[in-house]
This record gives sequence, C-alpha cells and structure tokens, in this order.
Amino acid sequence: MQSKVTSNRLAAILSDGFLALYFIFALFPILWMLLVSLKSGEQLFTTQFIFTPTLENYQAILFGDPRAAAGVVARQEFPKYFMNSLIVSSGAVIVSLLVGVPAAYALARYKFKGKEDLAFTFLSFRFAPELVVIIPLSVIYRQLGLYDTYWGIIWVYQLVTLPLLIWVLRSYFEDISPDIEQAAMIDGYPWWRIFWLILLPLVRPGLAAAALLAFVFAWNNFIFPLVLGGSNVQTVTVSALGYISSAQAFFNRMAAASVLASIPQIILALSIQRYLIRGLSFGAVKG
Amino acid sequence: MAELRLEHIYKTYKGEVEAVKDLNLTVQDGEFLALLGPSGCGKTSTLRMIVGLEDITSGEMYIGNRLVNRLEPNQRNVALAFETYALYPPLSVFENIAFCLRARSIPKTEIGQRVRRVADMLDITDILDRKPAELGGGQKQRVSLARALVRDPDVFLMDEPLSHLDAAQRSHMRVELKRLHAQTGRTTILVTHDQLEAVAMAQRIAVMNFGVLQQVGSFDEIYNHPVNEFVAGFIGEPPMNFLPVTPVREAEKLHLAAVDGSFRILLTDALKTRVERSGAQKIDLGIRPIHMEVVEDEGDNTVDATVVTFESLGEEGQLAATVGTSTVLVVTSPWLRLDRGDAVRLRLRSERLHLFDAATQAAI
Repeated sequence: MQSKVTSNRLAAILSDGFLALYFIFALFPILWMLLVSLKSGEQLFTTQFIFTPTLENYQAILFGDPRAAAGVVARQEFPKYFMNSLIVSSGAVIVSLLVGVPAAYALARYKFKGKEDLAFTFLSFRFAPELVVIIPLSVIYRQLGLYDTYWGIIWVYQLVTLPLLIWVLRSYFEDISPDIEQAAMIDGYPWWRIFWLILLPLVRPGLAAAALLAFVFAWNNFIFPLVLGGSNVQTVTVSALGYISSAQAFFNRMAAASVLASIPQIILALSIQRYLIRGLSFGAVKG
Repeated sequence: MAELRLEHIYKTYKGEVEAVKDLNLTVQDGEFLALLGPSGCGKTSTLRMIVGLEDITSGEMYIGNRLVNRLEPNQRNVALAFETYALYPPLSVFENIAFCLRARSIPKTEIGQRVRRVADMLDITDILDRKPAELGGGQKQRVSLARALVRDPDVFLMDEPLSHLDAAQRSHMRVELKRLHAQTGRTTILVTHDQLEAVAMAQRIAVMNFGVLQQVGSFDEIYNHPVNEFVAGFIGEPPMNFLPVTPVREAEKLHLAAVDGSFRILLTDALKTRVERSGAQKIDLGIRPIHMEVVEDEGDNTVDATVVTFESLGEEGQLAATVGTSTVLVVTSPWLRLDRGDAVRLRLRSERLHLFDAATQAAI
C-alpha cells in the first residue's frame, strides 16, 4: 500500500516535470520573439538574455523609421496591415458563420441525396495544399476583378474557415434531439425562433471554439493574401516579408510586428478559454 | 376537452412502407386510451399524425368534430409528453413550462398563475428555478407532463412516458398519471409497448400490429376474448401457449387431436358449435400458462408432457414442458419437485381454451 502511494507520487512528480518541460519548450519561441523585438540592431544576433531593451522597433513599425536612409525599406505601415488582417479574418469568420451554421444544421438534420459526399467535399478543402489551387485561383481572380480586394480574400478564406466550422457544428447539432425542436413546434413557435431561442444556446460552446480556431487559421494564412492580395489588402503575415530586403534583414522589427500581430489571437483565446476545451472535445470527437 | 376520431387513416412512407393501414378509432371525450403494440407496429406513426408532426397520407382526423388534417401542430391544441422528455436545456423549469404560453402572447400574470397551478398539481414548485440538466429522471418527467398540461390541451398524448424511469419511480408514476387523468379529465392517449402500463392506467386498450389495429376494448375483453392469435399472444405474461390441432368427430362428440398425435381433448358443446360453424380444418389451440395445472390423475382435458425445465420463482413456479413436438409454459405452485425428463400430466381448464383458425389466425 505504502509503496503504491509513493509510486503514485513519483508518477505525479514525473508527469508534472514533463509538463513543465513541455510548457517551456512550447512557449520558448514566444519568449524569444518578445526578446528579439526589444533588441537593437547591434544585439540582434547575440544570445544574451540580459540586455538594455529598446522600443525603437515598435516605434519604427508603428510610426516610421526616423533614420530611414535611401535603400532601406521604411516600414511604418504596420497599422494599415493590421487593420487589413482584422478585416479579412473577421470578415471570413462572419461569412463562414452565416453560411456554415445553416449548412451544419442541414447536414445534421435532413436526409438528402449525396449528403455525406457533400460533407466530405467541404472537409476535402482542407486536404489540398493551398499551393495546388493558387495558380488557377489567381488567374480566375484577375479575370473576375477580385484580385487585391477585401471580398476576394474573404472569399478564398472560406476554404480555410468553412470546413472547420461546418464539421464541428454538425456534430453539435447531431447531439441535440430532434424531439426538442418538435416539442417547440407543438408549442407554437416558428422554426427560426426555435433555432434562436433553443438551438443556438446549445451549440454556443462549439460555435465559439470553431469560430476562434477559424479566426486563427485565417489570421495566420500566408499564401492566399501573398498571391491574391496586392498592396491594398496586404496582411500582417505578408507584410512581415517586407522587413527583409536585399540590403538588410530587420529581424527585430519583424519580431515586433509578430508580437503585435499575435495580440488579437491571444486576447480572443483567453476570453473564450472556457468554451475552448469543452467546445472542441465535446462535439468534435463524435463527428 | 374533446373527442378524437380517426377515420380510415393511412400512413405511407416514400410510397412504399405502409406504417398505418385503414385505422378507425374513436377516443371518447375524457377517456384514457392506451395504444399498445410491439415496436414498429405503427403506434408512434399514429401518435405523430395526431399531434401533427407527420402528414396523414389519407383518411380524416377530427378533434372535437374539427377536421385537423391540414392544421399545424400548434393549431390542433394537442399536447405531447415526449419519451425523451425533450425539455429545453437553456431554459429554467419555469420557462420550459411557460414556453408555449409565451408563444400565445398570454399576459404575464396569467402565465405565472397557470405555471404555478400545474407545478402544484405535479409537485414541482420547488424546482421551478432549476435547469433541466440539474434534474433527475422522475423530475424531468414531471416537468414534461407539466409543460404538456399547462396549455389545457384537447387531447393529451404520452409517448412511452415511463420507459426511462427505474422500477420504483415507474410504479409511483403509474399511480400519478392515473390521478392526473382523473383530476384533469382530459382525453388522454398513452402510447406504449408495455402491456402492464396499458393495463394499469388505461380504460381501454387499442392493440396494433403491422400498422393494423387489431382490437380495441377493456383489458377484460382483450384478455378473455382476443380476436386473433396476435392479440392472444401479445397480452398476458407469460404469453399464451399455442398447440396445433385438428377437429376429429366421433359419435356426435367433437375432439381436438394434436397434429403430432400426442393428445386428444373433448370439446364442450359451446365450443363444438363454434368450431363446426367456422368449418376450420386446422386449429391453433391457445391456453394461458395460468390456466394449466400439473395433476396426478388421468381425466378429461389432460395431456401428457415431459419436463424441460422447472424454475421456482418464489411465489410461483414456471414449468416448461414438451407436449408432443410443441413446448408449453405452465405457471405452477413453487413447491413442486420436478427434474428434466420427468413425465407429468397437465390439465387444461376447458372454459379457458381459445381456438384460432390456423389459416386466418382469427379467433373461432
């Protein structure tokens, strides 16, 4: 008995230790990014952890580089790119919600021909590497006049955001007994009010989690805005490239931009954390 | 309150599967009727058609002389207590019950009064603030009944209301449902596959099988005068035994002889006339396990049998024995000592014989 207790405690210490190690391993890049963003150009390639921090990188990307010389790219347009990212990512998630919630409901509730094929088609959007479709897409986009427009990017982001939302929500809707809807029908409610009053609150954890993940995927997407967006809708991910020029690589500024760019995701993740674990472990497993 | 009348109701799914065939049934005002049958017999389809969740393929349905075929569920003024309860998880118990009243834009004060009245009736006033997830099975059941009753329905339907309760709650709820019916006087339909529920609660029982209504009547009628072999075998626990026999005439007397030659039984005059009038050549002889007994002496209406198993269940014994090539079940005293292979003699109570035409399965 005694030995069992000790061995349990040993296991607990080991697993805690392992988790701590993993924690450090997983978060180290973020710490490094933060450190680099506070370094000046001279300290950039040192591995020192103790140095005099400077905010000049942030100043440079937000307000312009006061020492910008000819041939060095001045990157003060970061706020604009940040807004672009915000617009296309939120826009993509909102469009996905408007389209995906009814689609997930239909896939969960109704029997129709080719239902599983359709559901699989949505999922298959996530299989194909983006590079495979990017060339034909860019040709089409130029012909349709969608190149370098917000709508164009929001549209192509549906490939990223929609499948996730549909599949997570579908399993949520499947978990809700149709009896509940029928009970409400007998109670005399039109379908849309049943949906609003009863169903939507039930799928909210899944909705929140899937929408957050969709937002993160959209925010981090690189290849679509790189090829399909021009100077008008450049996003933070694409703009990060601009810190590397033929003359000089401003890794510290790139790091500062990355730190700022990750803020919305971190805020979002923390604010809906309580839904996140339940939301994804609950519905998704059963799907 | 109202009478419910179904006239030549058919339900066909996708033009092929006939779930309900030519159903004619009248449930009187204030009556408690049980719709009983095995799964897939059409009772649930019937229920859903009455409520309006399912279209009626053909036929006419009246609630209080109002044709309701084309009416939406909420226009029929019927209430359904779902088997799964189907409570609204995001809403409190109070809001669950008030939900249908809110749809009718009834004034707030009246909603409060009506909810409290049914909550009183079902003894759930202390849980009105809780959410369905916090309730036990019995409480959920009460909430679902309260939700159904709060709207003063013309017809109150219950779909397998006791199937998710444990044994103690079940027998308690049976009494409760009966009291509720007496108290509200609503036309009530209970859909169940459990004959015990139907017998305990309903005034009349409608037995369905394969989408066809087999027999409607009180338990006494259905148990003692089943119209066919299905009803005879379905009602009663343990189920009725059937032995294939043929009528044999001998010096003005009519005997029934087992097809396998294992026994021969003399018929009473009343049964004799019935068999003669029917002209049936192959007959299934039905006898309930409680209407047979193990006897010592040879006599009328006895058959020889061989013990297969004997179980003492405390208050009674159950004997399975072979008679010729058939196996019968007999309810006996628990004190018998019988072993596999023992020869026994069984007496059939002649006034309790049921005869069915083997060709049509109908009672003779």
